[in-house]
Amino acid sequence: MSSVIEVRDLHKIYASAGAETHALRGVSFAIEEGEFVAIMGPSGSGKSTLMHILGCLDTPTEGTYCLAGRDVADLEADDLAEVRRTTIGFVFQSFNLLPRASVMRNVCLPMVYTQVDPDEREERAADALHAVALPEDMWHHKSNELSGGQMQRVAIARALVNNPSLILADEPTGNLDTATGEQVMELFGKLNDEGRTIVLITHEPDIAHHSKRIIRIQDGLIAEDIANGVRSS
Amino acid sequence: MSISDLIKETILSLTGNKVRSSLTILGIVVGIASVIAMVSIGRGSTASITSSIASAGSNRLTIMASSPGESGGGARRAMGDVESLTLEDVDALKKLEGVAGVSGQSQSQGQIVGKDSNINGSLIGLTADSLDVRGYELSSGSYISERDDKSVAKVLVLGSSAAEDLYGEGNSASAVGQRVRINGMMFKIVGVLAEQGTSGFTNVDSSAILPLTTVQRYFTGSEYLQSITVTTTNADNVDAVETLVTNQLLTNHGISDSTLADFRIMNMSDLLSSLSQVTTTLTTLLAGIAGISLLVGGIGIMNMMLTTVTERTREIGLRKAIGATAGAISAQFLAESVTLCLVGGAIGTLAGWGIGEVAGNLLGTGSVVGLDSVALSAGVCAFIGVVFGFYPARRAANLSPIEALRYQ
Repeated sequence: MSSVIEVRDLHKIYASAGAETHALRGVSFAIEEGEFVAIMGPSGSGKSTLMHILGCLDTPTEGTYCLAGRDVADLEADDLAEVRRTTIGFVFQSFNLLPRASVMRNVCLPMVYTQVDPDEREERAADALHAVALPEDMWHHKSNELSGGQMQRVAIARALVNNPSLILADEPTGNLDTATGEQVMELFGKLNDEGRTIVLITHEPDIAHHSKRIIRIQDGLIAEDIANGVRSS
Repeated sequence: MSISDLIKETILSLTGNKVRSSLTILGIVVGIASVIAMVSIGRGSTASITSSIASAGSNRLTIMASSPGESGGGARRAMGDVESLTLEDVDALKKLEGVAGVSGQSQSQGQIVGKDSNINGSLIGLTADSLDVRGYELSSGSYISERDDKSVAKVLVLGSSAAEDLYGEGNSASAVGQRVRINGMMFKIVGVLAEQGTSGFTNVDSSAILPLTTVQRYFTGSEYLQSITVTTTNADNVDAVETLVTNQLLTNHGISDSTLADFRIMNMSDLLSSLSQVTTTLTTLLAGIAGISLLVGGIGIMNMMLTTVTERTREIGLRKAIGATAGAISAQFLAESVTLCLVGGAIGTLAGWGIGEVAGNLLGTGSVVGLDSVALSAGVCAFIGVVFGFYPARRAANLSPIEALRYQ
């Protein structure tokens, strides 16, 4: 198996109002294809910063980051945008759907930027919506008419639609109740079983336990990196 | 992002907030409509002034009897009270180089009494050759002849509206051969003129033309003329002829100081150019004022786009996170502002056209909507859309995706 993510000695320093914040102080790890990794840590530990860098929304101050075999640490904004639309699927805590647009249009949105042929879009969106098990009669509802769990399913379908090699989820269950959160995590488990690489951020141990590997971040450093055998059922 | 996606996104986003989009478009509509309407009304009145003066003849000089120092101070006398122009002057002017025709005129006012109705009109005394010199056209009958003039005949030619007033609309031809009474004297109508339009200083249409000698004997009681019309061989030598005429008349009247001249020369082309200068200035002024409202409309666009960018910060963040480049974001917002402007411009052009036509008809000047002003407004709209959309679009494009996603 090849590494989807390989980071070496990542540093991130925020300079604001004269004070420097050292958010990451040398983080190194590799994530192989097909892994299901949870990154855990208390707030202020640097896990969000790490997530932004992994998601190519931000660049590290120092260190290298290879995503799917490509060094992205020094890419320009437009190249980062290209990596985001082809290699990464994002799932956010607050779903970030276009509220007045239909489910279908939300799922089709990423394909606007990857120049997918318009005739092909609905087909691919339908595949993605089937994959997240959203009932077909909801596909033409407006996204703000859905429940939280349904919205997150739409958001996951949107992340899948460009067939990225990596799904990045930032506290995907943070805005959901426990039962719905469990369902969403089961969906991630299923997607992982189908061979997708998933990295998610959470601070809830119950959620993290769905993953196969847990990386704990503390004060900008990796505190623990363990295989998680709990999710074997 | 393909063009068709861009168009789709633009329509979806603009129809997402119809009220706001419509109000913003309205700003542009008002701006463009007022510019087009003002320019077309301005051009219409310029064209109407130009054509009425051109119909009077741009190769024409009108010499009027006038007391010396008319342009200075002192007591003036009404036109016609001054006795300075004579038939000898007319004969002398005919011999000048570049002069095509000369026609002296004596004028009075009188009640023309027909069988059933009567009108109060000018009685213009002219010689037979004035038909050519003044470019009049007959609609029926004949013009006054040299014999009429020599014999001080009691005949007259009616202007078109005078004939209609006396004999009814469409019946002006029946006027020929009829008799009318003026100051208790019977006159025979020998002809009716076609409509001439307001030409220069006298409205011929509502007047009657009599032999010069008849007017002098029965109405003005004076050998003097009120005005002399000189036509030149072509429109280019008007100024040269004006100098010759001035010198000739000064000589004839024995005046050595030109400031003491007892006549005044009106040059139609001078009048034309100064009048069109006035209307052009007015048109520019009006268009400028209208342009200000266009500017306000543009600021409205910018205001709406900035509001939209702020409102849609999270959406922008999301779009960037799923891989939109800064260029794609910026294109999207620019497309929205340009679309607003072009829609507003299209409606505004039609509205301005309509207003121009209606106002032109009400003012009786007509309106001229040039293709150039339509093209210009389309260009201005696109320009405003780009200029006032550029800053908001740039602001949207340069948002950091992380910050934008966090924005509440």
